[in-house]
Amino acid sequence: MEQEKAIPLQIKANRDGLMLVPHPLASFQSIMEDVDNRLKSTRDFFSCSEMTLDLRGHPLASDEIAALYRLLLEKAKVQLMEVMLTEDVTFYLQPTKVLPPPKPRQPDPETYAFAEDAAVVVRTTCRSGVRIESPGDCVVLGDVNPGAEILAVGDVIVFGNLRGIAHAGALGDRSAKIWALSIEPSQIRIADLVAVPGKGDRRAVKRYEIAEIQKNRIEVITM
Amino acid sequence: MAGKIIVVTSGKGGVGKTTTVANLGTVLAKDKHSVVMIDADIGLRNLDVVMGLENRIVYNLVDIVEGKCRKEQAMIRDRKVNNLFVIPAAQTREKDAVKPEEMVELCRELAEEFDFVLIDCPAGIERGFKMAVAGANTAIVVTTPEVSAIRDADRVIGLLEANLLKDVHLIVNRLNHKMVKRGDMMSTGDIVSLLSIPLLGVVPESEEVVISTNRGTPLVHEKNSRAGQAFKKIARRLNGENIPFDDDQEDGLLGRMKRFFRG
Repeated sequence: MEQEKAIPLQIKANRDGLMLVPHPLASFQSIMEDVDNRLKSTRDFFSCSEMTLDLRGHPLASDEIAALYRLLLEKAKVQLMEVMLTEDVTFYLQPTKVLPPPKPRQPDPETYAFAEDAAVVVRTTCRSGVRIESPGDCVVLGDVNPGAEILAVGDVIVFGNLRGIAHAGALGDRSAKIWALSIEPSQIRIADLVAVPGKGDRRAVKRYEIAEIQKNRIEVITM
Repeated sequence: MAGKIIVVTSGKGGVGKTTTVANLGTVLAKDKHSVVMIDADIGLRNLDVVMGLENRIVYNLVDIVEGKCRKEQAMIRDRKVNNLFVIPAAQTREKDAVKPEEMVELCRELAEEFDFVLIDCPAGIERGFKMAVAGANTAIVVTTPEVSAIRDADRVIGLLEANLLKDVHLIVNRLNHKMVKRGDMMSTGDIVSLLSIPLLGVVPESEEVVISTNRGTPLVHEKNSRAGQAFKKIARRLNGENIPFDDDQEDGLLGRMKRFFRG
């Protein structure tokens, strides 16, 4: 039991595949060494597999995740597919295979070296004071309340009411869109354009709305 | 069985946290529960004034934590209700005089003796807030139907959830039914749909609140007070009783007649 606790990084197998779980008290140094040793000792066992990193008990900085990602890829061709940040927030490093191939974009190579089209999925309401940044698309399964900010290099998709600030195409992609069941934001931005809602137009029930750039202006289209 | 530790918070100041604590504490104690109320607003203490026992303070919360007195010495018994106690805040100290760990420990000890520990949280989301919520296992967020108060309440709910406090309830204070009907004020439904946490009750706007605060006797002692009735219902719902919300909304002649016939 004591022995097991001392392992800095556990590799667990579950329904969805292999899960990497760092020990809450382990240092990043020891985690990296452990991964290195484990990959050496198991030789090709994990080669070319896909893994999920579970950071619910032990948060890591983004450069640490990047280092771990590179180590796994270089040493054993292990592909890190997802990072679970909390119970509600999962960070997808690789686009899932069902999705059609995303449009080519040019994100800053330094910052997003390990996640060219990562999507962030937030499974909760974004309340005032919350800021979510995504190097790809951002999907919110809940409302975005006033005072919350969603920033995505790709599209922003909200399965709920968008009442806060949303910025799609944050690195300048003018084809990015904002999707929501209802768009009543404090402000929306797509690429370099900013729009504020018109005063006092209360609209009837609708299915969903999309904000996109048309003729150099942000238009909200009701579907 | 350990008691419930409830923090009453809002983010924004002046929405009625202290009034809520004073009234809920009094109702619960009148319903034969043992209750202790802690004023965690160190440096700006209010709860003792609202409860009308300012002149009986000898020791305070900081004294307990610093070991200058036993916790029983700082607990002031209410004059009207027997099993109701107040631990006042220190007026001359700063918010960081009590650390979150110390608050957790104190709440745990009190919850062993009392059915309810009510904590009056300071406004804001800084140190004082973190200290006040540290020991709680339930939170009540108070808001008024104003956009600014609701925005702050939303932020506070987010912070509470980040602190892994999942049992969060809402009280809408100072609702003016006439203004809601005219469409000049956000309705309870709008507020609940935005904040998306369970509603514990609605307290109507009323002049009685100011009068009772100035007198130092909680409203719930008055039999005919509407706001007092609202607090009584809230206390029962907090206790797990299922009380319908329908007549919270009614005002005007019809509502008053219905209330009259119901007694």
